[in-house]
Amino acid sequence: MPLRSIFVILVTLVGLAGTARADLRVVTTTPDLAAIAQAVGAGHVQVTALALSTQDPHFVDARPNLALELAKADLLVLVGLDLEVGWLPTLQTASRNADIQRGGKGYLDASGLVPLLDVASGKVDRAQGDIHPGGNPHYLYDPRRAAKVASGIARRMAELDPANGQAYLAGAKGFSEKLQKWQQHWEAELQRLKGRKVIAYHQSLTYLADWLGFEVVIHLEPKPGIPPNPGHVARVIELAKKNGVKLMVQESYYPVKTSELVVQKVGAKLAVLPGGTNFQGGESYLGFVDQCVKRLSAATQP
Amino acid sequence: MNPDIAVILDTALAYFSEDENLQTGGHDPKATGFNLQQLELALGAAVDPYFRFDGNLVFSQFGVELEEAYGTTLGLPARLQARFGQFLHRFGRINSTHLHAWNFVDQPFALGRVFGGEGGRGLGVELSWLAPLPWYAEVVGTAMLAYGVGSARSFYGDADLPVDGPADLLYVTALEQFFPLNDDWSCLWGLSAALGPNATGRDNRTDVYGTDLYLKYRPVTRESQQAVAWQTEVFYRRRQIPDQLLEDVSLYSELTVQLTKRWAVAGRYEFGSPAVGLGGEKGLDPLDPEWVAERQRVALNATFWPSEFSRLRLQGSYDAPGWLDRGVWATFLAVELVAGAHGAHTF
Repeated sequence: MPLRSIFVILVTLVGLAGTARADLRVVTTTPDLAAIAQAVGAGHVQVTALALSTQDPHFVDARPNLALELAKADLLVLVGLDLEVGWLPTLQTASRNADIQRGGKGYLDASGLVPLLDVASGKVDRAQGDIHPGGNPHYLYDPRRAAKVASGIARRMAELDPANGQAYLAGAKGFSEKLQKWQQHWEAELQRLKGRKVIAYHQSLTYLADWLGFEVVIHLEPKPGIPPNPGHVARVIELAKKNGVKLMVQESYYPVKTSELVVQKVGAKLAVLPGGTNFQGGESYLGFVDQCVKRLSAATQP
Repeated sequence: MNPDIAVILDTALAYFSEDENLQTGGHDPKATGFNLQQLELALGAAVDPYFRFDGNLVFSQFGVELEEAYGTTLGLPARLQARFGQFLHRFGRINSTHLHAWNFVDQPFALGRVFGGEGGRGLGVELSWLAPLPWYAEVVGTAMLAYGVGSARSFYGDADLPVDGPADLLYVTALEQFFPLNDDWSCLWGLSAALGPNATGRDNRTDVYGTDLYLKYRPVTRESQQAVAWQTEVFYRRRQIPDQLLEDVSLYSELTVQLTKRWAVAGRYEFGSPAVGLGGEKGLDPLDPEWVAERQRVALNATFWPSEFSRLRLQGSYDAPGWLDRGVWATFLAVELVAGAHGAHTF
């Protein structure tokens, strides 16, 4: 074959390699982020979540096989605000993947994409419990914030994979539109939650309360990350009775025994929300929020 | 842009039934009464996109020592990673971990016997490779100085010998494999070797081979705060000394049961054979001449965590060295406090 033809073929192949690529490999810390990345990815991404929806995301075991996923990742998306500080850094270092180290082109802290609540002010220390000084990390309970996260993920995907950039941006737009449609339905369903006083297990319902308009009057944990003790449980019961609380809400990865005792004493109902999207089971982020709404609705039926 | 800084205090109230005990760990409780095991100052930071730095100083009532200070590469090609500086080498499982990560108040005597009270560590360089296999398999190779009475006692120890060539260095190699049996069950299996010179004579060498197994059950597919973990390590050591080739075996095996988020119980069994010649004849062990019979120790403890950052541990043990008429009973009440940056836990 003439040398010129070989040269043309080689240049064409190199050119094609620069534009077409295998699926973008996205690894997220939580399954909620994975579901959002999948929705945005428009079929051009392979998404893996490091944690299951049944796991408390503060305390995931840094199993070495998770480093293998990170080694192959083009993009790591995390919740941030120290939610994953107890396990993710070990895996990042073990992955040997420069792109997904903090500050790398494939590192995306989603907390930078949303307006935050519970940002600590003044002197902060652990006498206040295991707090997140930069803000409350449980923002994915709020679909409005999830839409902003989707846009941010799409923009980063478009930077990493320009050939499919328009598809990612369109994916985020479609996701956001679908969320807005469902949001109206959910807000109508939970109109009766507005102004209601609620007990929460952990300080994780701030954004859900911001969206749906209810008020968390007390937490079953005496301080964030500190399990309930009898003295504090008695205070919770007393305060709940005084405020006419009829609803307690917690995630499925917390124990229910103490919560069931409290609602029984107070005459309230307990809504156990899924800990996150069942991404491994094929659930979408919309499906997760819909589940949360259904469970809250069932627990607040007159 | 300050580094992450944490301070970890370990103290213990101890009781020993005998005036002399055989604790091997440099930071074990050593005497009846109040013991300051250590105050660790841990520092860590990403230096730039290419390296991170980690280090820790350990303070005791007798002074301060540099335990580790090393750099780690973040993005070498071909899944390689290098560490350089002073560090605990990766022989086995427990050697590269710190006191505050242990399931027991004191060091397993296997570790102290083979490497020393500080664990195996030294100044050197390590290269590791994450194999491109469907399961986690990591190969580690290390070259470091073979000195340290508390960190390389089976090698040059406290001998003042020069480094004339590669044969004067300690080489540690390890293969670590992880098998996620399913979401709830995990298995980590390692093979290790530490090969280097010892100070008993020209060209005399020590070889240490080990295997470690870690099996953990932690249900994550449903709500549970319980977990069970079993960890076992075996150390086989062979030493050339003048006129003899010695061999001995040391091991520990521990079972930890996390009952609730705040409570755990654990049990540990330890064994050490006497050093004997390859034909089974009595060994003239220069490091532990009194160790002429089997030694066994059992320990039980209960741990309570008021929070993730504080820990109380009550431990009892019975140490039965075969060369003593009486064993040693010991009881510890240990308290640990952690302040500062939240460290990332290894598996």
